[in-house]
Amino acid sequence: MKTKKRAVRALLALAGVGVILSGCHGNVKQAATTAPHEYLLTVTRPNQLQVIDTQTNSITRSCDVPGYFGAGSIAMSPDGRIAYVLSNKWEDIYGFDITDCKMVFSAKQSSSDVIVKTFFSLAVSPDGKELYTVQNPVRELDDRYEVMQPQLAVFDTTAGLDVQQSRSWPVDRRITKIATMDNGEVVLGGADLKAIDPRTGTVRVISKLQNWERGARWLTPDAFAVSSQGEHVGEYIMAYVTAEFKDDSMNFETADWWWGMSRVDLKSGAVEQMETVPFQFIVFSWVSDPHDSNIIYGAFNTLSKHNIKEKKTLAVTDMDHTYYTINMTSDGSTLYVGGTSSDISVHDPETLKKIGSIQLPGDMSTADMRLVRLQE
Amino acid sequence: MKHLKSINKKAKTVEEAVSREEVEEVMAMQTVVGCTATTDPGWEVDPFGGLASLCAPMESDLYGCADACWWPAQVPDTMSTYPDWSKGIDKANVDWRKLDGIFPEDE
Repeated sequence: MKTKKRAVRALLALAGVGVILSGCHGNVKQAATTAPHEYLLTVTRPNQLQVIDTQTNSITRSCDVPGYFGAGSIAMSPDGRIAYVLSNKWEDIYGFDITDCKMVFSAKQSSSDVIVKTFFSLAVSPDGKELYTVQNPVRELDDRYEVMQPQLAVFDTTAGLDVQQSRSWPVDRRITKIATMDNGEVVLGGADLKAIDPRTGTVRVISKLQNWERGARWLTPDAFAVSSQGEHVGEYIMAYVTAEFKDDSMNFETADWWWGMSRVDLKSGAVEQMETVPFQFIVFSWVSDPHDSNIIYGAFNTLSKHNIKEKKTLAVTDMDHTYYTINMTSDGSTLYVGGTSSDISVHDPETLKKIGSIQLPGDMSTADMRLVRLQE
Repeated sequence: MKHLKSINKKAKTVEEAVSREEVEEVMAMQTVVGCTATTDPGWEVDPFGGLASLCAPMESDLYGCADACWWPAQVPDTMSTYPDWSKGIDKANVDWRKLDGIFPEDE
């Protein structure tokens, strides 16, 4: 993941991976409730989409995903009914109706001589009609690999199975998580935050990171994010680490180290960039509190709560093991910490106290843990 | 590279592949996000010079490093080269003993 060139080691032999027929295990009966219901979605080994009821914190159903596990990134349709999963060694996309596990969409991005990897980049248009991925293609020639131009690929979600992309636009290299704004633009999380109009291919910078212009007193930020979340409030967060130097000598020992973030309001398109709290421990994923956007939560080896207006850490609790991702219900009542192993840790946002655990049949590894609000 | 001169087509391709423009396309990070700041086994430290921000236990991070080709020298790359390495071992923290090493295959 550190360089795309590692991905060029794809073997042609892998193109012959057998497709496992989609199936469904567990409780498949339709729920009879009428109120919108929130579910957590994640993907576990060997390769199953897990639909988890946030009221009972138990698995409602498990959908078999074709191909090998990976990356397990998930994007949802606006009505919460269809979950699109990045599968088969980060190459294929499969869409499932989460109420019955029926496969309603599929697309294989690689072809016989071009291996295409997508590094977490998966998003659905606000009207649900289009699916977007960032493709990193490599052509396998007889004597060498040809690293090709990354591109935003657009798929018609109504086209069914074995869909070919309808159009594509060139984009930067090293883009990870993406998201759609209500105006239809797609946020591209790369060296800088950019937005592309998928109708025209027009790209604009919305928040400079690698190329920010703060002068020599600030270290160029390390910005990186892989897990998608933030749907509980309609936000996109790209966190970064930077250092504020005391003087022009750029002494790392005496510098103030900061967490910071570029945060996009996906509804309005407003973007803010700020240093949030001192850099005291690693956090892999962040979410904002739906009741107060100055309160954010972070997860990795710890679960932490911060007030970014006051630049203070309010609470920290040690986790049982490393977790990559975090999410919370849209009413702000429950925090979920997941990724890595086969359990989702459930916490009270007020105290950060662990209040439950959801046991899964396999490891989540790099998979997303997304929240959907489904009208049943 | 400026003291070397390519004399055949393949060498020219290599030279072009490391042109300054392409090198600058990917930037090294200043700090390490998670896991370890060094790849020497036994000498792992986090960005603060300690251990608290290393992934723990190793089993929780094992597939996250293999699936993403994050540490391809330390764990098999399941993204491209060894997709079957973890076949049948769905929980690394339970069945890590079943995960085998990998070795070069005969041509």
